[in-house]
Amino acid sequence: MAEQQKKRKNIVKDISFRVAKATVKAVLVYMLYFFLSPMLAPLFEMIPGFMESIEAFIIVYIVLMILGDITAKTIFQHFFNTARALYFMGYLLLSMGDGVFSTSYESFSLTVNLTMFYAIAATLSLLGLARTILQAINFMHERAEAAIDMQL
Amino acid sequence: MNVPIRMLGVASTIFWVFLVAFVALAAYSVKDLSVDFGEPEFSVTPEGELNLALPLYVDNKGYYSLKEFHLSTVFSDSEGTELSRSNTFVPVIPHGENVTIMHNLTLDPVSLLERGEQYLFHDNDLNVSFTAGLNFAEVLPAEISANFTFPWGAPFYNFEVGEPSFELVDFTHATASVPVSFENHAVFDLAGSIRMELYDSEDSLLTESQTVLYVQQQSAYEGNMEFNIPLSLASMSSLSTAQSGHLDVYFDIGVAQYGPLVIPYG
Repeated sequence: MAEQQKKRKNIVKDISFRVAKATVKAVLVYMLYFFLSPMLAPLFEMIPGFMESIEAFIIVYIVLMILGDITAKTIFQHFFNTARALYFMGYLLLSMGDGVFSTSYESFSLTVNLTMFYAIAATLSLLGLARTILQAINFMHERAEAAIDMQL
Repeated sequence: MNVPIRMLGVASTIFWVFLVAFVALAAYSVKDLSVDFGEPEFSVTPEGELNLALPLYVDNKGYYSLKEFHLSTVFSDSEGTELSRSNTFVPVIPHGENVTIMHNLTLDPVSLLERGEQYLFHDNDLNVSFTAGLNFAEVLPAEISANFTFPWGAPFYNFEVGEPSFELVDFTHATASVPVSFENHAVFDLAGSIRMELYDSEDSLLTESQTVLYVQQQSAYEGNMEFNIPLSLASMSSLSTAQSGHLDVYFDIGVAQYGPLVIPYG
């Protein structure tokens, strides 16, 4: 009975820790966005709808991150992490298009070639996706190993 | 497998931090970059071309140098035919420095006048295509382009020649006076001359006259061309035929010559 109570206490403690960790991470990501957005304001002003798009991206990213942290130590954590990496890649691909950004105002038009940035960001996001897949494989491998050890 | 995955994560995070910091600093640098155009100065080159010197003040207070700064201006007429092209290239604008770039636009009036009387006598709008580009922070090439119209003011706008008035001075010569008026709408002071040939109704040249002009930009000119017509017994009758005929007008504005402009009278 006491052991069961201790186990329940541990579960509550574990879940509380995960929630706290997720909250801290979410707050940190949001703080990063909060401090970087004034710096990027000149860029936002030039592109109509960019601010809203970034905000939507940040919200979905934070939600997936929280879900990933809450479901830590389960296979779902890796699902959410992979979903987050895929979402990031998809957002990058859809928002950047061919990597050449163009906007026009009255008779002026501005073209910025972001191909280099795009290439680096795409490579890093691919690295992130590979990492999440490796983590999932590792998780399954550790579970299989644990099951074999239990059988032995 | 845990250690390689963790190292992959650490490396990935470090690269992301660098990338985000770079983009944030680059975007922040745009805020500290100011570009101002000065007052354009017009002049006429020894080759007779109109030169428009446009000063450009670039104050790069950002964190990165601006490389391969280029500026291109193309003048074209209303039909899209290219009249002039000017390029300015600055290899590097270091960060923290204030640089003045002089963009010289040249326009050859001869080539304009060859395209018709419209540029000499009528105000027009020239199309200007402007492109400025630079390589920001080494890896972000950016280009801004604009199209606008540049008003071309005719140096002999509303050029009018009145009816010649003849006066017999004595048996040896007569005089004729022709009123001339126009407005100089050009961006430059008009320094040149007008030469007129007076022909009678039988297409015989009676006399010619030349007047030197200096008309400041955006000002009107009104004057008379005075002709001295020598008379002889044989040519006394020509004065009666001179009641109608035509005037051939030749323009010399220093940078270009044009003529004859045939104006009938009588």
